[in-house]
Amino acid sequence: MMLTFHDIGKTFLSERGEVPAVQGVDLAVREGELFVLLGPSGCGKSTVLSLAAGLLKPSSGEIRFDGELVAAPRKKVFVSPRERNVAMVFQSYALYPHLDVFGNIAFPLRVAKVKEESITAEVARAASMLGIGDLLRARPGELSGGQRQRVAIARAIVRKPRLFLLDEPLSNLDAALRAATRAELKRLQRELAVTTLYVTHDQTEAMTLGDRVALMRNGRVLQVGTPRELYETPRTPFAGSFIGPAPMNLLDAVVFEEKGRLYLRMGGEKIALSPGKADEVRRIATGRVLLGLRPEHVRISGDPGPPALRGIVVSAENLGRERLVSVETAGGILTVLTDAEAPNAGDVVGLVIPIETASVFHPEDGE
Amino acid sequence: MRKDHDLRELLKGYAFLAPVCALLLAFVFLPVAGTLLDSLHRDVTFLPRRFIGLGNYRSLGSDPGFWQSLRFTGLFTLVSVPLELALGLAFALLLEHPTSARGFLRAGVLLPWAIPAAVSGRVFELIYNVQYGLANALATGIGLSEGPVHWLGTSAGAFLALVAADAWKTTPFVAILLLAGLSAIPEDLYRQAEVDRAGPLQRFFRVTLPLLRPVLVVALLFRTIDSLRVFDLVFVLTGGGPGGSTTSLSLYGYRFFVGGDFGYGSAVSVVLFLLAFILSLLYLRASRFGREIA
Amino acid sequence: MSEERRIRVLYTVGAAAMSAFCLLPVAYMVLVAASSRPDVLSAGAEVRLTAGHFLEVLGTGSLHFPEYVVNSIVVSGLSAILAVALGAPAAYAVTRLELPGRMSFLFLVLAVSMFPPVSLVSYLFRMMSALGWINTYAALVLPYTAWVLPLSLWILASHFSRIPRDLDRAALLDGCGRLAALRKVMVPVAAPGILSTAILAFIFAFNEFLFALILTTGRNARTIPVGIALFEGLHGEIPWGMIMAAATLAVVPVILLVLAFQRGIVTGLTRGAVKE
Repeated sequence: MMLTFHDIGKTFLSERGEVPAVQGVDLAVREGELFVLLGPSGCGKSTVLSLAAGLLKPSSGEIRFDGELVAAPRKKVFVSPRERNVAMVFQSYALYPHLDVFGNIAFPLRVAKVKEESITAEVARAASMLGIGDLLRARPGELSGGQRQRVAIARAIVRKPRLFLLDEPLSNLDAALRAATRAELKRLQRELAVTTLYVTHDQTEAMTLGDRVALMRNGRVLQVGTPRELYETPRTPFAGSFIGPAPMNLLDAVVFEEKGRLYLRMGGEKIALSPGKADEVRRIATGRVLLGLRPEHVRISGDPGPPALRGIVVSAENLGRERLVSVETAGGILTVLTDAEAPNAGDVVGLVIPIETASVFHPEDGE
Repeated sequence: MRKDHDLRELLKGYAFLAPVCALLLAFVFLPVAGTLLDSLHRDVTFLPRRFIGLGNYRSLGSDPGFWQSLRFTGLFTLVSVPLELALGLAFALLLEHPTSARGFLRAGVLLPWAIPAAVSGRVFELIYNVQYGLANALATGIGLSEGPVHWLGTSAGAFLALVAADAWKTTPFVAILLLAGLSAIPEDLYRQAEVDRAGPLQRFFRVTLPLLRPVLVVALLFRTIDSLRVFDLVFVLTGGGPGGSTTSLSLYGYRFFVGGDFGYGSAVSVVLFLLAFILSLLYLRASRFGREIA
Repeated sequence: MSEERRIRVLYTVGAAAMSAFCLLPVAYMVLVAASSRPDVLSAGAEVRLTAGHFLEVLGTGSLHFPEYVVNSIVVSGLSAILAVALGAPAAYAVTRLELPGRMSFLFLVLAVSMFPPVSLVSYLFRMMSALGWINTYAALVLPYTAWVLPLSLWILASHFSRIPRDLDRAALLDGCGRLAALRKVMVPVAAPGILSTAILAFIFAFNEFLFALILTTGRNARTIPVGIALFEGLHGEIPWGMIMAAATLAVVPVILLVLAFQRGIVTGLTRGAVKE
């Protein structure tokens, strides 16, 4: 099912007046795609999810399922949640405490007045898909967090919805369980081939699970793309900082021309630009840019060739397999993520500037 | 534009409230309005009904019986409410103490509240019986008095008897209310006070009482309103006597209804209504009502 | 003595005194009911334990006592059921649907519980007379339901508001409309709270006096509190033994309810009056 949001806005009325939770959101989720809404808390991603489900009405814009309007305030159209055939897994799982696992999974089928024999078969099918076939008689109160989540998912898929919504499904699981469940969710979604909208604040989840990711902030969609696109070509410094194993280094650089070629000066170092990079800088069209360098791309070298910066190590954190090193340089403090042995605080080191994989931003974009 | 669809949903929502509204309108608000209207009329059986404006109220002003019942009701409230609050607090403190007997104690404490006032009124009528009542047995037994006391035969005796019976009946309710307030006080505050070397009495006055204040205010107002409208106990225990000295406002109004004077009786009950209404406004303000629920 | 022991002694004494205070009149009532003579406590009285009064109360047709019991139970039961049946949807609407004016509604409802019954009763009497309902169940059940609705509504609303909203939303997505969500999810989950609300409503209706006094005239609908209040005896001297026996029998249902549901009753009362 193809889901489209066109210029969707949602404003809430509170004591402080009108609060816009979501503004100008355009999304197009393709059939069978696992589409992730990524962003910090309060960015509006859960609101988008509720709008897709019909739990909230948009203040403006249009929502369409396979081209048909399901919500359009200006045209007085609103299809209620029960008529949309959408399934949702809540962060709290929202299992019915007065029913056992079977009753929970069967609930939507019973509401739809499906025959009991079919219900038994369907529930068994969903339960076995989630590996909880032996828990059917248990009550939600007796289950662990992971088990409850599976019941919630089974209840969601049992009626073959055309849209599958997940609200931070992994955030209540302990870290060990998270990675395994992540993989299972991906496998399940592939198997069911159902259009899925997945909300999370964890960029690792988004990067590993999503076919495409929409990065949101303050109610707006900043960038939509594949995980790779978001990682390699972030369009805003925020995107660069939010995505990736460690926040992107953002440093000021001055643009200047010499003998017809474009250069950057940063921290006293003259950086040559390839034609592609030069085009990027030209597009920003100011005398200064914000240079985005990923910590994992910056290399510590004893003898770094240009472009390079020299600096003093401020601190080195041991993260197990890698180390996060902060280095004070003439261009500012750089963090480096390296799996090599860490230098000590106070050491003088050389850093190779990864200009080819760097991102360039308008200097006013960084806040 | 959107209003069309929303209107339908709104109406569906109000439909959930409609039956309650209808019932309250028909059997509470309408009667009150009717009584108010009646109070402005001369309405006695066998006489034609006539609008007399505030005539009934003017008569009330010079009616010694009315003032007597007002005095009694006021005095009764003034005496019994603080008594019940104090006793209720004591009970609540006892009930809060964690022991295995707590459930049993709570059930026991609830009994006086659960028994109808009319029934307990008769029991107390017997207790205060001159010849063989429990009260006199205790009084002479302990040596409080030489001979049997004619409790219900004197104004003072009847008054005390009513206060005692009312305290017996309603202290449990106050206790339960205060118990909820007590349970809401975090343990940590007591521990902190202990660390600060406060003894049990100091802990009570410096931690318990201040934090209990909002609940105490609620209980105070609630009980005051209840005391003002007392009827059942008075009717059964003293019948308003001796000599009308223990006639509450409710009973006074009732007498006129039974006697067929609907106009005058309504005026009395309107006065009572206004008293209760003003207090209930205070109560609603004090209980910061509803914000957590809706 | 250490502070702990002092507190423990104080507590035991206090608890004993409290229990004595609460139970003494009840015990006295039962004692007199089961004694052959009312002057049970007089020194030198010859008293035997007997069940005579109980039998007389139940057996004497002209006293109509068993009928009063039935009336009380039926009227209170119907009022409780009706109060919950009407109160639950209203509580649901107030807590879950964003209805404008819901605060005024709650305010109005709460105000009702503060009205003095005497301010309603004369007009109610005329209303019921006009409808021809005097001395019928209808004359009591409907005003009683209206009377206990405020408390019921508040307790139900407080119970509903504790149920996570995600549960509603899940039900809506699973195909329920609002009424179905109430019926299939909210009510079952709030069932214990609904039960204690019903029990409280029952007790309040059971104990009501003034309305029953005025709106009933005889055995068709008269309730126990009125019956016992007016019990004067047939021969001049007040038959205390029988009155106490009637009182004992009358309070058996409420005592049983209190013993069985004491926890629920306490929660209900505190929720109804104290907003936590």
